[in-house]
Amino acid sequence: MSAKQHPRVHVRSDLCRDCQACLLSCSLYHEGECSPGLARLRVRKDMARYEFTISICRQCRRPKCLEACPVGAMRLDERGVVLIDDGLCTHCGECAAACPFGAIFQHEASGRILKCDLCAGRAEGPLCTALCPVGALTLAPHGGEG
Amino acid sequence: MAYGWMGKILQVDLSTGKISTRDSLPLAREYVGGRALAARLAWEEIPRRCDAFDPENRIIIATGPLTGTLAPTTGRTVMTSLSPRTYPRAWYTHSTLGGWFGPALKYAGYDAVIISGRAAAPVYLDICDGEVRLMDAGDLWGLGARSAQLQLRARLGEAAQVLAIGPAGENRVRFATVQHAEENAAGHSGFGAVWGAKNLKAIAVRGSGGVRVADPDALLREVLQAGVYRATPCYSAIQGEAELTRRRPVCSQACTFNCLVNSYSRSDEGRLQPAVCIGPIWCEEGSMELTRYSGGGVEVPAGRNFPRDVHLHALCNDLGLDLWFRLVMQPWLIRCRELGVHRIRGFPIDPEDGGWFEGFMHELAERRGLGALFADDLRRAMDDLEGELPAELIRLGRELEFDFGFPAHREGRFWDEEPLPFWVISAMMHVSEGRDPTIGAHQSSLLIADLLLADRELALRQFRVLSQKVWGYPDGLEPTFEHKAPVAIWSQHQHLLLDSLPLCDFAFPQLVRPIGGVEEWRALEDISGDLDIDLRLLAAVTGIAWTREALTRTAERAATLERTLLARAGRQRSMEEALAPHFKLPCRADGTAIDEAGFARLLDEYYDARGWDRERGWPTPALLRRLGLEELAPELEALRNP
Repeated sequence: MSAKQHPRVHVRSDLCRDCQACLLSCSLYHEGECSPGLARLRVRKDMARYEFTISICRQCRRPKCLEACPVGAMRLDERGVVLIDDGLCTHCGECAAACPFGAIFQHEASGRILKCDLCAGRAEGPLCTALCPVGALTLAPHGGEG
Repeated sequence: MAYGWMGKILQVDLSTGKISTRDSLPLAREYVGGRALAARLAWEEIPRRCDAFDPENRIIIATGPLTGTLAPTTGRTVMTSLSPRTYPRAWYTHSTLGGWFGPALKYAGYDAVIISGRAAAPVYLDICDGEVRLMDAGDLWGLGARSAQLQLRARLGEAAQVLAIGPAGENRVRFATVQHAEENAAGHSGFGAVWGAKNLKAIAVRGSGGVRVADPDALLREVLQAGVYRATPCYSAIQGEAELTRRRPVCSQACTFNCLVNSYSRSDEGRLQPAVCIGPIWCEEGSMELTRYSGGGVEVPAGRNFPRDVHLHALCNDLGLDLWFRLVMQPWLIRCRELGVHRIRGFPIDPEDGGWFEGFMHELAERRGLGALFADDLRRAMDDLEGELPAELIRLGRELEFDFGFPAHREGRFWDEEPLPFWVISAMMHVSEGRDPTIGAHQSSLLIADLLLADRELALRQFRVLSQKVWGYPDGLEPTFEHKAPVAIWSQHQHLLLDSLPLCDFAFPQLVRPIGGVEEWRALEDISGDLDIDLRLLAAVTGIAWTREALTRTAERAATLERTLLARAGRQRSMEEALAPHFKLPCRADGTAIDEAGFARLLDEYYDARGWDRERGWPTPALLRRLGLEELAPELEALRNP
């Protein structure tokens, strides 16, 4: 997809049914293991109400995370996606704090910063949208928010 | 660390409070995981003379190498123990449950948990990665299973996955469940009562780790194969479009299917809630009427749905009663009324009144009033009531739980329609396993009975091709009484492996390929599906290239261990032949039946095919040698010559 189309993952949390194929495929693709804690998105379940909330990067046009990074560990790629250079990142968490949507996560054990990169390097696009069976996650051109 | 397996088994002694771990890999590689691994652990751990409620009994909770991965439908977990439900006495059996608990257990670092002993006061087990604690559950005791889960998630965070019992388990109701999430339960085998006897209210697990995958690309490739994993069960061929496209919940992590046995309902407060498997029968108007059966002098009345069934369904899960109890107890109680019995032991019965039924459920869970009698399950209540009630009612109660105390299911008489030969295959499974076996063998043989019912000639033509291809001879599914043992054993081995890898038995094995409707089905000669998906998933996750032969041998070894554990509890041919009268009742689909002599021939064929002796139906020394299980021989020998 070209930079002009500026893709992102469109979320319909109300359709989610908690199969977690998104979380598992995300961590599998990026880390070679299936671990929800290492996924670049989160699915939270409110059991009392049987409601789910999915949090994932909206690929903002003016990314606050990028502005907040004090060490220059973040950059925009040709798709308009903010990528993290793990070698430069100091795990300070400024980017996560700056994200207005709570869509950047810090891995508990390692302190690593995790953020959706739309499965960088995968020509067919993000795995979560390919595998979500109910359309809670779909690949969409940018709608303008953020 | 290995791929697929986590490498550790957690051991908790509730009597002493001792918590320890042992290495899982040597046994896990030999037995794969789940039910097969649990059989091996049970053989080592559970003492020979032990009852379900003894502290020495074990609760074994086991995952498999695929649990917690992206491999489809693998969020499943197996629980095994001596069951208080099995009749006439406790023996080793299993329940499986879907959901999110097993994956979380693995992310915490464990392949399995073994619980022994009895706590002095109610406790819950809190597992957070390497930190494992027994905690006071005094404030949780008495709460419903859902309430207990909500409390623990509020206390420990919403990442906590919880197994919990309700009042039924606390009060040792013999069909008490261990509940998880909304609808998942280790339901049939009464293990909730074992938890209650151990003073164990709940297990909460939080895990921050992950399951390493040997070949991520291969696993992704398998999962992305369109048209394979999006498929609904084989009978999708004969379902209408509306059924196939209806929006449905999932019951387990990593399930991306639209499962035909699941549906949503709305609670009284308007909350969306999932109803899975048996749940929709409780909630959908008119579905209880399917209990109606008449034949061989046995009359089962239609059950009745109530306007507030969604509420009762949630209540049943919260109390921790096996949802299946209603399918046998409600029609039985209605028959009592039809025969003029309006009171039992002085207690009024009014099973067609929703308010009365709700009260009865509370009484069951709390062992009060009429509930005290039926909390030991219908089959045991019949022994208690013999001579007090008309003989027809006693006989009916026994028929409804003919299978060693489990509600009749998929045996061609009550509730489901399995025409010849499917009920014969089912009968062989019923006589040889520790529990109602067919509940886990949906896709491996029984559901394709629906194809026979939809178009007999077409289905039989296709079955001959299928039988030749899968079992190596043409009449495995012919509507006769002969040559059915290989199909039953294949189905049981598939079931054992599904419970061990794990995979869901509503989606696997793919005996019949996904079929996109009736027209496509009619045009097919070969309906067989891809039966090696399990091998590819196992290889992708563990990096170990199991052959079909090796995996089948693993299943056969586990089946032999399970059978030996049954022998230990006295299960043998004489008890299994006693199931014969049930199969003299006419099959509801086609009226077929079998007499005692015919039934004995089925047992001969089955035992021979297994390598079990005909006298007792126990593994022979030759079989043990072939499977490298000589260590079982001394105990079997001692049982033969007490």
